[in-house]
Amino acid sequence: MISSKLQIVMLLGIVGYFVILFILLKKNRLLLKYTLLWFFSGIIMLVMTIFPGILTWVANLVGVYAPVNALFALFFFCGIMLMVALTSIVSSQNERIKRLVQQVAILDEEIREMKEK
Amino acid sequence: MRTLIIIPAYNEEKNILRTLADLKKYAPDCDYLVINDCSKDGTKAILKKEGISFLDLPVNLGIGGAVQAGYRYAERNGYDIAIQFDGDGQHCAEYIHALMKPLESGEAEVAIGSRFVEKKGFQSSAFRRTGIDFLSGLISLLSGVRVKDVTSGMRAVNGRMISLYAERYAQDYPEPEAVMQAGLAGAKVAEVPVQMREREGGKSSISPMKSVYYMIKVSLALILNRLFAER
Repeated sequence: MISSKLQIVMLLGIVGYFVILFILLKKNRLLLKYTLLWFFSGIIMLVMTIFPGILTWVANLVGVYAPVNALFALFFFCGIMLMVALTSIVSSQNERIKRLVQQVAILDEEIREMKEK
Repeated sequence: MRTLIIIPAYNEEKNILRTLADLKKYAPDCDYLVINDCSKDGTKAILKKEGISFLDLPVNLGIGGAVQAGYRYAERNGYDIAIQFDGDGQHCAEYIHALMKPLESGEAEVAIGSRFVEKKGFQSSAFRRTGIDFLSGLISLLSGVRVKDVTSGMRAVNGRMISLYAERYAQDYPEPEAVMQAGLAGAKVAEVPVQMREREGGKSSISPMKSVYYMIKVSLALILNRLFAER
């Protein structure tokens, strides 16, 4: 079992997290498709905090002695997954930007050629 | 055959005109395209003043992205042969026609200008040679193509390979991967003996400190290329 003190602190933390997500979304500073990623990880954290019984069950299942350690391990794993997802997003944007830059350069050359004639 | 010479240039104000003069002397029948990879020096001003045709990349893409822009230009304008030629004065233009020969006769789809066939001219340090030999062996093992000078940036390719490179080209340290791609695409690769000069101005894109990273990155990229190749 995790202490109810920790439960309350985490609950407050997660509420704060959702408020930040909401504000960013409202200001158009986060794209919805990327927000879903963060939203789901928040939901997982919330469920774990409200129903620590699940956590005890998971801890027993994978052989972790203290349920709170299972909680930390879970958060850590969520964090890693999010970073992989972000790297993947950055990579695909990198490819798109490269294409655009090349296309811009080719069109720029064609415009210069046309102006000369 | 319509031939385009692609000359990537990053901060080459000291060398670019000499390189172009050299090319005009030995290969006046080819078109030239300098790729200005967002140079910080006067490269662009020189190109403009001299009326040389060039692509002006609005942001720096690195050697791979710059050269790929050239291949995309070649594809868009229907060139039969594209030749990569460094703007820093390392490559000698007198070998351009020797490089085109295997493509014109149809005996190869890719021709690589190699320092190590006749072992003349600038040969690179023993340390680097060992690395190049290793990559050469790795490429031979993975794709069956035997090329000695896999890091040579002097390369002529035909129309099919222009399209291939326009579609996909490695971003940093692209030369070994380009050889590998050609091999995996079933292209015949010829190695043409050339001599290269030691660079005069500017500095090498690969410092000794980076070479370990370079070897790991390139080896990994080659192995992944092989694994993901569509056959």
